[in-house]
Amino acid sequence: MIRVVLPPNLRSLARVNGEVQIDVAGQVTQRAVLDALEDRYPVLRGTIRDHVTQRRRPFVRFFACEQDLSHEPPDTALPHRVVEGDEPFLIVGAIAGG
Amino acid sequence: MSVGNQNVTAERLTNDEILRYSRHLVMPEVGMEGQQRLKAARVLCVGTGGLGSPVALYLAAAGVGTLGLMDFDVVDYTNLQRQIIHTTNDVGRPKVESAAEKIAAINPLVNVRKFEARLSSANALEIFREFDIVADGTDNFATRYLVNDACVLTGKPNVYASIFRFEGQASVFAAADGPCYRCLYPEPPPPGLVPSCAEGGVLGILPGLLGLIQATEVIKLILGSGEPLVGRLLLVDAMAMRFRELRLRKSAECPVCGLNPTVTELMDYDEFCGVRGEEAPGAAAVPEIQPEELKRRLEAGEDIFVLDVREPHEYQVCNLGGYLIPVGQLAERVGELDASREIVAHCKGGVRSAKAVEFLRGVGFTKVASLAGGIHAWSDKVDPTVPKY
Repeated sequence: MIRVVLPPNLRSLARVNGEVQIDVAGQVTQRAVLDALEDRYPVLRGTIRDHVTQRRRPFVRFFACEQDLSHEPPDTALPHRVVEGDEPFLIVGAIAGG
Repeated sequence: MSVGNQNVTAERLTNDEILRYSRHLVMPEVGMEGQQRLKAARVLCVGTGGLGSPVALYLAAAGVGTLGLMDFDVVDYTNLQRQIIHTTNDVGRPKVESAAEKIAAINPLVNVRKFEARLSSANALEIFREFDIVADGTDNFATRYLVNDACVLTGKPNVYASIFRFEGQASVFAAADGPCYRCLYPEPPPPGLVPSCAEGGVLGILPGLLGLIQATEVIKLILGSGEPLVGRLLLVDAMAMRFRELRLRKSAECPVCGLNPTVTELMDYDEFCGVRGEEAPGAAAVPEIQPEELKRRLEAGEDIFVLDVREPHEYQVCNLGGYLIPVGQLAERVGELDASREIVAHCKGGVRSAKAVEFLRGVGFTKVASLAGGIHAWSDKVDPTVPKY
């Protein structure tokens, strides 16, 4: 079970509270996690990755185990602690309130 | 790293100042030299709202010698839940005047510089050059990018925090060799994807938490002590009371601080953020009805179905007796609506109802309009007993 933390606006959009837990078949990569996330919450399609290119949108970043994975190739395996469910895969989005 | 005037011998402390700052002076990490640095420092608070309130109050109390306060806004009642530098008696007054008054009461030794103006590409560089550090307490993406770019171009650290609902982010951007805001987020989200605090709400205490992190970072930068949040993004989740630290890297491709910058002067940030007409996106494209006309037609007994597209908790605050379907549920619940009847959709301010009308017209509804200005306009123009929130 992979733990995913969404930014607050996307949690509202997907109508979830707190972390999301998803099953990922096969190797646990950014692409596999995001595919599984979008399968379960279709409303998120286009909000994290571009609809057409499937590339990360420039106002969100991916982190895990304190490290910025945003520029990692999407088929790179995620850290072991994410795969084991010890650490979440963080999707961090820009906010602007003050 | 220490930011600001390094020659602080001219900033000798008076006996009154030594007494006032004694809890600083007894700590070797601050001491006489650190307090003199604080006295010599010039910090600009952009925004005197939720974040700017605690930043300005604590920096003034700590003895920062020159505080710039920049805000174009006036105090309103909805500010008082979190903007603690302003009081009920200040409603209607310019925020800069209100804030300056409180600072003078806390520490009359602070030199307050007031800028009652909107930060813009025309004035940012000139103003930033007069300060050592900028604390970003603004509330929209366009100004966030403007503050960042102006900080990079003038070489001033951008002590940053932002908030939404129960969560916040903080960092120190544009410090020497550190990443800037654009390294993290090269482009803003499209208008409407990330609601503002006015739309999505914010826990009143949250800007206190994040603002004090900003104030702490400002003090550390001035003192040249500790580990500043350079190259680190702090995520604060007040509901879980969890603080997460994420490592950031300076981006070689950053358009403003990268190896080959393409942003070498300030730009039109409203255009960059796509916020032209943000008040009511799509409003021009959807039919609207004015509150007075809706009232007249309802009183005349016309068959109009009032559709409230806000959230249930907003309905509890006030309502017009409309049928409630939150705009996010409209697609799956559209079958509950009768396309043969005339429908007037409303929300709080007219943005969500415009989206709802756009959606309904797209699926074949023809007799549908948005209440211009939402329930707030109804309160202003028809029934002042309906509360605004």
